[in-house]
Amino acid sequence: MNLTEVKKGERAQIVRIDGDRRYLSRITSIGLNVGCRVEMLQNVKKKPLLIYGRDTMIALNREESERIQVEVEG
Amino acid sequence: MGETRNIALLGQPNSGKSTIFNTLTGMHQHVGNWPGKTVEKKEGEFKYGEASYKVADLPGSYSLSANSEEEMVTRDYIAKNDLDLVCILADASQLERSMYMLADYAGMRTPVMLVLTMMDVAKSKGKVIDVKKLSDKLGIEVCSLVAYDKKSYDSFYQCLEASIQKQKTLDYDALVTIIKESESAELYQQYLNKAVLISSERRSEDWVAMKLLEADEAVIRELAIKGEKDIQTDPKGALYASDARFHWIESILDGVVTDAKKPSEALTKFDRAAIGPRSGKWVAFGIVVLALAGAMIVASPIMGLGSALPSVLNPLIDATLGGLGVSETILHFIKSTIVVSLGWVVSMVGFIFAMNFVFGILEEVGYMARVSYVFDRSMGKLGLQGKALMPMIMGLGCTMGSASGSRVIDSYGQRIMTIAVAWAVPCGATFVVIPTLANAFFGTAGGLLVMFFIFVIMFVHVLITSKVFGRKLNPVETRTGIVMELPPYHKPRWGFILKNSLMRMWEVFKKAFAIELIVCIIFYILSYSSSGIEGSILYKVGTFVEPVSSFIGMKWQTFMAFIAAMISKEAVLGVLSALFANSGSIMDSTTGLAAASDNIAQIVASAIPKAEALAFIIAVTFNIPCLQAVVSTYNETHSVKWTAKIGLYYILTALLLSTVVYHVAALFM
Repeated sequence: MNLTEVKKGERAQIVRIDGDRRYLSRITSIGLNVGCRVEMLQNVKKKPLLIYGRDTMIALNREESERIQVEVEG
Repeated sequence: MGETRNIALLGQPNSGKSTIFNTLTGMHQHVGNWPGKTVEKKEGEFKYGEASYKVADLPGSYSLSANSEEEMVTRDYIAKNDLDLVCILADASQLERSMYMLADYAGMRTPVMLVLTMMDVAKSKGKVIDVKKLSDKLGIEVCSLVAYDKKSYDSFYQCLEASIQKQKTLDYDALVTIIKESESAELYQQYLNKAVLISSERRSEDWVAMKLLEADEAVIRELAIKGEKDIQTDPKGALYASDARFHWIESILDGVVTDAKKPSEALTKFDRAAIGPRSGKWVAFGIVVLALAGAMIVASPIMGLGSALPSVLNPLIDATLGGLGVSETILHFIKSTIVVSLGWVVSMVGFIFAMNFVFGILEEVGYMARVSYVFDRSMGKLGLQGKALMPMIMGLGCTMGSASGSRVIDSYGQRIMTIAVAWAVPCGATFVVIPTLANAFFGTAGGLLVMFFIFVIMFVHVLITSKVFGRKLNPVETRTGIVMELPPYHKPRWGFILKNSLMRMWEVFKKAFAIELIVCIIFYILSYSSSGIEGSILYKVGTFVEPVSSFIGMKWQTFMAFIAAMISKEAVLGVLSALFANSGSIMDSTTGLAAASDNIAQIVASAIPKAEALAFIIAVTFNIPCLQAVVSTYNETHSVKWTAKIGLYYILTALLLSTVVYHVAALFM
């Protein structure tokens, strides 16, 4: 599943990121790379996603986040 | 005397970079642009011990990729041979993430040191960092400090000295080993062979090879120039490179950071409201109102002082210079240029001080990032950051407010764009002048209709202007979705913000006074006449171009008032009054030295046809807001070119609007 499908409060691990070079370098330089664990803080309608990862809160564009594949942790 | 050393500050957003820059350099700063680039250049100086330091505040970004003009400027700068040291900043409370800049720097051979900020936050999160061990593992000096507290800078200065003396460069062998043991080892080796072509003393093959692995357009272009045209790139390369970097960071931090693992308390109650899907906008709205009110409270005493200046200084001038026998003409010249521009500048810096203070607090606290998040979608449609909304709303009060408030926008290009768009927001003075005129011409209901019409035009104007300026400043194809850290809230450092706002105010004062004085003198000459209004250059030009201006919808009188309104919007009534009721000279009416006739609105209502009046009202509303707005735009953009472009654009659109409104209105009125 992709990151936008993770529900509020769920934790997930990033398993794959697709996209062009620009996107990959933007998303990884803020700290989100494959293997990174994140928690969904807010996921509402069309608003940007709000996640917690690598000790901080990060806002992510929704359409772009569909390229981030995750596995939800129990 | 000691030598001068060149150092540079490099750090991710929210790493405390500008705070450190300000603390280090105080008043000794110069802000400008990088030649030929829409990137802000900030440099400053400080002395410590025997040596003096020249420090560059490099534009903040999350890495050294080739994603923006800012990052390209930074990359060129850190590879310069005369640079003595790069200070890379990292937020100690989230070291793993914020060390990424250092990891991306690995391979550069310019001496470097690491500065850990937010140690207090790290501590409160239960993190302990072994600075000594970190320094040993990296092979460079590492220090920690509290950015706003100069007393905590001792170890920073010592590390600075030691780093430069010993020319300490980053030990990145471990990173190369990680890459060479990974699945991209073979590719990396190929890249290393090519990298030799464009590597330099400061920029090692390893750094270039890492960038090639990332499929970095800029190094590929450099290689192409050298004849290496077909570089095989891996679409996943950027992922491999960043994986390697994070592995390296983890291996470095292993045993350096002890984490007490306090449970994450990411969302406080306030934050839940501040970023909530519905509540967020209301919280932002409330805070904007508070900020606007706060700014007015802070600014009004200084602005009051500014507007009271002529009434205090003019009698003084009469008494002293007048007593010495200086002629009435010269006295009048002094009053209507020096005194007037001094009064204006004092009011202006009052506003600038207030904006810096209020926005400084919102920024420091960390709230601005929330505004960006909440309004990301709506402002994103204009090609602007979410927080651009704040300065735009400030524009309803005063355009100077939006210009100086735009400093919260971290990209220089988008800052210019924000200011350009914010000029279209009618300011407080418009709401005083325009309803008076509109009511006189069209009655109460008609007046309301005119105001409604103005707001409709405003929305269209904002849309079009953002497109026009966005084409160059934020091209659609380079626009990207939000990927942004929302930093934890911090307590505002009142003293620090106050000091910064005062410094900023003084800086602007020095620059702005000269500009306003020159414009006042030019306007004085243009409107000077020894015999009524007819003797002035302005009158001659106005009547000369009347055939053209009539087509636009303005007779020479309204056209002159239109010109004067570019100096001061409040001048509109006064100038009309001078022209139609002989209440004083053009100069005195523009600068407010002569008051408008009490029933001026009624007088002009009977003298000007309605279609012309409507065209005039719209033209004045959407013209250059005032001289003050122009000067404060120049203050924020440091660019004559961009200020002139914005100014010219507004004059032309105002004339265009006037023409359209006049000809359409003439059909009905």
